Amino acid sequence: MRRLLVAWLMLAACAAPAAAAELPDWSGTWTPFIGDQMRRIKTDPVPWTPAAAAQIAAMAAEEKAGNPRGLFIDCLPEGMPSWMLISHNALEFLFSPGRVTLLGESDGNRLRRIYTDGRAHSTDPDPSFHGESIGHWEDGTLVVDTVGVLPQAYIAVSEAVGLPNNGDLHVIERLHLAGPDTLHDDLQIIAPHVLTKPWTTTRIYYRQRARKYEIVEGECLQGSFTPSTDKYGNAIFVPVPQVNGNPKPQ
Amino acid sequence: MNFSRICLSLVVACMALPARAHHSFAMFDQTRTVTVTGTVKEFHWTNPHVSLWVYAVPQNGAAPELWTIELTSPGNLTRAGWSRHSVSPGDKVAVEIAPLRDGTHGGGFKKLTLTDTHQVLTSDFLEKPGLP
Repeated sequence: MRRLLVAWLMLAACAAPAAAAELPDWSGTWTPFIGDQMRRIKTDPVPWTPAAAAQIAAMAAEEKAGNPRGLFIDCLPEGMPSWMLISHNALEFLFSPGRVTLLGESDGNRLRRIYTDGRAHSTDPDPSFHGESIGHWEDGTLVVDTVGVLPQAYIAVSEAVGLPNNGDLHVIERLHLAGPDTLHDDLQIIAPHVLTKPWTTTRIYYRQRARKYEIVEGECLQGSFTPSTDKYGNAIFVPVPQVNGNPKPQ
Repeated sequence: MNFSRICLSLVVACMALPARAHHSFAMFDQTRTVTVTGTVKEFHWTNPHVSLWVYAVPQNGAAPELWTIELTSPGNLTRAGWSRHSVSPGDKVAVEIAPLRDGTHGGGFKKLTLTDTHQVLTSDFLEKPGLP
């Protein structure tokens, strides 16, 4: 009986979420290594299906010719996995019991909730831009499994080139420190409607501790407005005419 | 290759290309540089892109032209040494831009010189941990 109790206690300890004291220090602001994002598109090529590859080639030609509309100019979230793949803006991690939260700069919708409380995926999660993320810790590595992503969420290789995942997206990530202030996100992206096989790639983030690099508020649509005053003298925003996400020259 | 040259090479390798976010900057002709010289009308320190409006006086004495210049995000510019007070309305500036391909008065930011102080600002920043 005592042996059974010990075995049960050991099992319970393994299944329990990692205590905060056991977690690595991921505080600070993390800035993406943008140069490496661009390099990895060549070194870790995306295994597009032939039909997807043809669309990507056409989009790349459009960008080269200088007329892309851009994937994100409507200010919908970049979502998963594009946020991790192509963002040029900083992110931060918040650790709380049973959960890791990612917050990103520049777009008020950049937010991922990763549950590390031992739960399983929902049987039928409501689709969302960032999906349903369940994580667990393995010796300082946060392993994250994400499903339930909207089929419209892009797999982007740049702001102008990428395709919707078209459904059944599954992303597995291993986030870990590769140095005192360097974090790697090793991604495996499974998208059977646009990829011929899982796409494995890595994104690198650098830690900044100086206060001036702390993330500032950013609302994607704010750039579409300019400060003004109404007829009563109230401070208001008014729309800025735009062309393809840029202020329209006057 | 001596040590200082190696360091210089590493710095260049780690220097970000002009950083963008939110949308592609391909509508700007990066092969050309146009210098817009004039007076700042507005400077918007706003995500996802900082914007700068400059009244430029054409050399032929024609009426001032308003140029719309787009920069990267406040966060990225902070890493390049900027603040929201770096440029103010009324400042006299010379701004190098990659012009819009369609010829309208706008472009993507390359470099700014404050005429009165000769201070030069770019959007280049180092990509490494522990920036000062």
